[in-house]
Amino acid sequence: MGEADRDSTAYYNYPRFDDYVAEGGDVADEAAFWASPRAGQRAPDYRLPRLGDDVQVRLSELWRFKPLVMEFGSFT
Amino acid sequence: MFVYTREAHPGENVAHHATSADKLACAALLREETGIGRDILVDDLAGTVHCAYGLMPNMTWVIGRGGRVAYKANWTSAANVEAFLDRFLAARGEHPPGTTPVMYETQQAEFRYPDRKRFTGQLLRNGPRAVAEFEKAQQLWALRAST
Repeated sequence: MGEADRDSTAYYNYPRFDDYVAEGGDVADEAAFWASPRAGQRAPDYRLPRLGDDVQVRLSELWRFKPLVMEFGSFT
Repeated sequence: MFVYTREAHPGENVAHHATSADKLACAALLREETGIGRDILVDDLAGTVHCAYGLMPNMTWVIGRGGRVAYKANWTSAANVEAFLDRFLAARGEHPPGTTPVMYETQQAEFRYPDRKRFTGQLLRNGPRAVAEFEKAQQLWALRAST
């Protein structure tokens, strides 16, 4: 990993958490969170596959008629 | 709704994702083991949605009807989200006659009390390496805090 690779898929999917922290990846992530849309601004809209049936779901369809709660996560 | 991202603490058992198929398989395993009942949407291998929403490992957003951000927290607290939704929906639904709701923005600090035993168990599920790497990261955070 290195500065030039920071936008790459391989950098995003880091294999070692301690190396990621040593390179400041966690600090950059926190900064990215605060640089993301603020309350009142339009939320980014994407289409994602739903686990199980692989249906492509558009986020804007989910928040069209009622508020949408989006939790992000993995095993940990 | 749950968005499955990269593995925050990859290890020998649940490794980092090298392919989209790896990622889908890990998401399916997560649902099987944790019983998440909500819809799980799986981000692409590059983390396009995760990047757009701010890259934190366990964050929660609430998007209001129509697509405006109503709430964002860099860590998930179900109780906090619930309390927010109660206030938000009540304020939108009921207001004094002759008035219209006007939105304003807040930013506030909250506290959480990590369950280290449970978290270590989750790290171990991913593999002993995930535990060791988290311990090293803690040393790095302590060093950062002291300088």
